[in-house]
This record gives sequence, structure tokens and C-alpha cells, in this order.
Amino acid sequence: MKNFTRRTFAFSTAAAVAFSLVGCSVTTGNPGSSDTAPREQKDEYRVAYIARAQADSFAAWLADEMQDEAANYEDLKLEVFDGQADDEIENRMIENAIANKFDAIIIQANNADAQIPYIQQAVDAGIVTITTNPRVEGVDGTNSVDANPYDQGAIVAQTALEQIPEGANVVVLNGPAGNFHSTERRNAWEKEFFEKRPDVKIVAEDTANWNKDEALTLMEDWSLANPKIDAIVSVNDNMASGALEAVKGKSGFEGILAYGVDGTPEATLLIQEGKMTATSLQDAGELAQLNMKAVHDLLTGAEEEVNVNVGNPLITKDNAQEYIDLYTEAGLIDN
Amino acid sequence: MPSKLKNFELSRYSIFIILVVVFVAASFLSPNFLSGDNMFNVLRQVAVITILAYGAMTLIIGGMIDLSAGAVMAFAGVASVIVYKSSNNMLLAVLVGIAVGVACNLVNAFLVATLRTPAFIVTLGMMLMARGAVLELTQGQNVLQLGDFILIGQGNLGWMPIPVLILIVITAVIWYLMNQTRYGRSVYAVGGNEEAARAAGIAVERVKYQAFLVNGVLVGIAGVIFMSRVNAGLPNAGIGYELQAITAPIIGGTSFSGGVGTVFGTLAGALIVGVLGNIMNLVGVGSYIQQIVMGLIIVVAVAYDVFSKRGKAKTTILKSTSKGEPKPPEGKAPATSGASTLEQ
Repeated sequence: MKNFTRRTFAFSTAAAVAFSLVGCSVTTGNPGSSDTAPREQKDEYRVAYIARAQADSFAAWLADEMQDEAANYEDLKLEVFDGQADDEIENRMIENAIANKFDAIIIQANNADAQIPYIQQAVDAGIVTITTNPRVEGVDGTNSVDANPYDQGAIVAQTALEQIPEGANVVVLNGPAGNFHSTERRNAWEKEFFEKRPDVKIVAEDTANWNKDEALTLMEDWSLANPKIDAIVSVNDNMASGALEAVKGKSGFEGILAYGVDGTPEATLLIQEGKMTATSLQDAGELAQLNMKAVHDLLTGAEEEVNVNVGNPLITKDNAQEYIDLYTEAGLIDN
Repeated sequence: MPSKLKNFELSRYSIFIILVVVFVAASFLSPNFLSGDNMFNVLRQVAVITILAYGAMTLIIGGMIDLSAGAVMAFAGVASVIVYKSSNNMLLAVLVGIAVGVACNLVNAFLVATLRTPAFIVTLGMMLMARGAVLELTQGQNVLQLGDFILIGQGNLGWMPIPVLILIVITAVIWYLMNQTRYGRSVYAVGGNEEAARAAGIAVERVKYQAFLVNGVLVGIAGVIFMSRVNAGLPNAGIGYELQAITAPIIGGTSFSGGVGTVFGTLAGALIVGVLGNIMNLVGVGSYIQQIVMGLIIVVAVAYDVFSKRGKAKTTILKSTSKGEPKPPEGKAPATSGASTLEQ
């Protein structure tokens, strides 16, 4: 225990010294701190990326993009670990990365609150720490690269403001209970759309856990109970496409509007075909670029702190082709 | 004798009485429930789970279990989608889906029957391997642009949705296998008492291989229908389906200790779950409450089943004293013999 305290003290002192040095933009000086300083110049920096879950299609895409982007930096060596959507595994991965003395750790939290103590440990160990998709607040000394889920929902909701007809009936599909991105996207719809359009009635709302098949089943039933549904409001594209599958070719639902978020390959195709109305892109490529730039800048001392957001461009029929081309190039859509 | 017969009939059909009660209640709760569209809706929605449930039922009756069904279903379905996309050949795609299901289940069977490893552990391992395999195959990405592949899950033959037609055919085939063949009788016997079955000359290992083979075919078909229905190859599909697949036979009176269970009981169990989910969606009950109701139904159905059989039988639905009672391979029809195990 005594040892542990002493070691923790030593670590935090070293970290504090290192940070204060960098904080003052002093690059030379106290030679005693140079061996523990996190920003020691190296030919190759080892970076751990702890992905939330490789089974989640967005997380898997992001992990791929991270690896591709890391290859553009000669001095970065990226290793990807799979948190398997499990807090315990995710935390263990962070502990392992600290123990294995990675120069930097990028964490895609599974559940921010559960990861905070471990993120703190990484910071305390003097390791460059970045949280991404989602940003984890509440730990000093971390950096972040994220998309803003409120903005992602808001830009779509604002578009819908003019498109959803007067007195419309809509259905709402939510992500898993308590999920930060789902909650924020739903909040955006509430503030940017439903509060401004009291004429619009939500005839059914439930969670489909981001899943296409669950949304399909819900919409099959909802479309029977409510013969008039004017729009599908979904907090991700997967569920929007599942709901559309349920009313495909069904009379009375030909002109149904459908909104999502994420800008998945499937959504861009549906928008192009005129079946889906709008989505906003959460660009894994841009997230990866900003992450690798951030980690490189932090490790080489070019930046002391990085907190950035990717953009959230709106995708509609007007520009869907642009994104289809991008996805085709990436091999995610067939020619 | 007549009173005994009456009791026997009542408890045997209790699950169907519950189904009728749920059905009637649902028709009062929503005017849309009894519409033809909605009836097909329910059947389309339960098709995949019911097909998986027949596989789960077969294994549970035979004293085994399959925790890999959801993952293998995703693997089989996605493999089928990929083959269809590259060959445009529906028959080949379906066969590949079935082949993947069968291959995974033959590995299960080898470990369970030949190496005598517990099915729970083996299929838990297979669950992870199959899920890993399908994620590796797709790199975690959904496979899109399925073309005419969607006919199997979304098409109609005349007025009959194709998944429902497949479900009816499979129900008939599984009923025949379980009730009219030596294989079916052997599955009941092996699950009822493995040593006694062996002593009676049944090739226990072969029966286990056959049960996993049947399960593999069913899981493969379920995978093809699932992916076709959602119009995408989803590598993360079917998470938790192994437990949903077990729920239907358990509600329908299949005993976890093996040797007992019926095809129509399983079908009724799946329909009860499907009708409840459907009516709750129709009347706008949220998914949190739905989970509570589903949990209650499972507990109540099984408790009722056990309770209604107590008194007449010293046998309980769980680890039963009937272990000592060998079932002859050429006994009476197994549905009856299965049920009567509880009655004696």
C-alpha cells in the first residue's frame, strides 16, 4: 500500500512536472524529468486505440479508418483493441495499455462514467489520452475528438421543419436507453422540431436499439395501428431503413418521409432513390483524420491540448451522389 | 380412467388454452388485431424465431442445448447474402446458408457426442466463434444491395407470404420427424434417459449428430429468411436470439431435463410470444413494459404447467424421477409418450 502510494505520488509528480513544462512551452530544462516526460521525442510512437465494439458497424468502420489514417504517419504505430461493448473489458483494455507503456491511448468509451477512473489512470501515468465518439467530460488533462450528437440531430430536424406537413402523424425510433448519442439526437428533435411544431402528433415512439430488424417489426405493427403516418423520425439510419422496409410497397405509405442520422452507405442509397428524406453524416474518415492529427500533434509537442468536433453535413437528394461516390470508392457500395 | 383421461387432456392442451385466451384478449384490445394483414404480420414476425425454436426444442428434448443459434444464424445468413451477390443464384445462396448452419452444428455435435463435452460449453464457444467469423467476413459492415434475394423474406406466393409458407412446411416436416420416425423416438429416449436408451440399443451418438444436423439446417434457413426480410446482411444480427429460441419451447411445455416436448407446443409458445409483442405494439405499450410482460409470461406459463401436472405425477418438470424409466425405441407415438412421462 505504501509502495503503491509512493509510486502513484511519483507518477503524478512526474506527470505534473511534465505537464507544467509543456504548459510553459519549455522544451529543454530539468533533465531529471526527461525520462518520464510523455512528450519525449521518439522515432516511433505506440498508440493504442480502444474501440467500443468491433461488432458495431460504425465502430468497426471507425477502427478501419483509424488504421488507414495511422498508416499516413511514419512515426505512429497504431494498435486496435476491442472493448466488445462491455465496460469491464473496455476498462481492462485501458489498464493493459497503461501497463504496456503506450505513448498515447485513444479511447472510444462504451459508457463514459464507467471508463472515467481508468481514463484518469491513463492521464496520471503521463500518457497522452484522447477520448473520441463520444467525448468523455470530467477528467482534466484529456483531449477529445468527437461529433456533436445534438448538432447531428438538429440539422436534420431543422430540415424536417419545412418538409413535414401540417398536422402530420409521425413515429419516433430511439436508440438504446441511456445512450448519450441517442439521447442528445432525440433532444435535438425535441427542441428543434417538436417544440416548434405542436401540430405534429407522435403516434408511436419506442426504442429499437439502433437495430434494423427491431425497427422493421415495430413499424409493421405501427403501420397497421395507424393507417396515416407521414414521417419516420429515427435517431440513426439503420432504424430508419428498417422502418422503411416495413412500409415498402404498402398502399397509403408511398410518400412517407424518413429521417435518420449517421449517413450510412445504405441511407445514402435510399436518399438517392427518393425513399429516405435526409440524414446527417457522422464521418468516420474525418474522425480518424482528426484523431491521428491530434495524437501526432500532442506527442510531438505541436499542441498541448486538443478538443475538436467533426462537421455534420446534411445529406439530401441534392448531394447524396457525392457520398455514394465516396462510399463506392471505399468499397462499401457496389458500382 | 375417464377422469384421468380428462385431466390428461386438459393439462396437455393448457398451452393452447393460454394461446386462445391471449388471442381473444388481443382481438378485444385492438380492432386491427384480427385483420388479415395483421395475422400475416404476426406470422412473418415469428417465422424466424419459430424455426430456430424447433431446433432448440429438438436439442432440449434430446437433453442438449444450443447457445450458438443466434450467432450461427447471422453467419449463415450473411454467407448466403454474399454468395447470392456474387453468383445471382438463389438456390446456391440458400444451400450455402444451410451448409454453414450444418457445418457449425456438426462441429458442435462432434464435441458434444463424440468428445462428450457439455453442450452448454461447446455451443457457448461456437457462439463466439461464429460471431467472430461473420464479423471478420464482413469487417463489421452491413452487406447491402441484395437485389432479388429479398423475395424469400418479403415475397408472397399468391396471397401467402413466403416466410410463412416455409414455416408451415418446416412445422410439418419437424412434426413428422419427431412423431413418425425412429429418429424422433430416439431423440425423446436419449433425452429422457441416455443410459437407458443406450441399453435399449439406441445409437446415442448418432442421434445427437442427427439432432444437431436438423438444428443446423433450421438455423441456416432462419438466417437466410432473416437477412432477406431486413434486406441486408447484418453481421450483428440475432444477438440474444438463442434465448428467444429457447423461450418458445419452454413456454410450450418442453422440459429442460429432456425427453419431453411437442412441436405444436413450441409453435403455440412462439405464437403466444409473437401475439403478445404484436398487440402491445398495436396498442402502444412501450418496450420496457413489454419485457416485463414477456418475463411474466415465461414464468407463469412454466409454473402453471408444473402446477397443473403436480398431484397426478410425482414427476417434476425439472430433473425428474422419470430418469429411471427407459423408453423403448419402438414405443408409442413420442408426442404422447413425452407427455405421458409427466402423467405417470
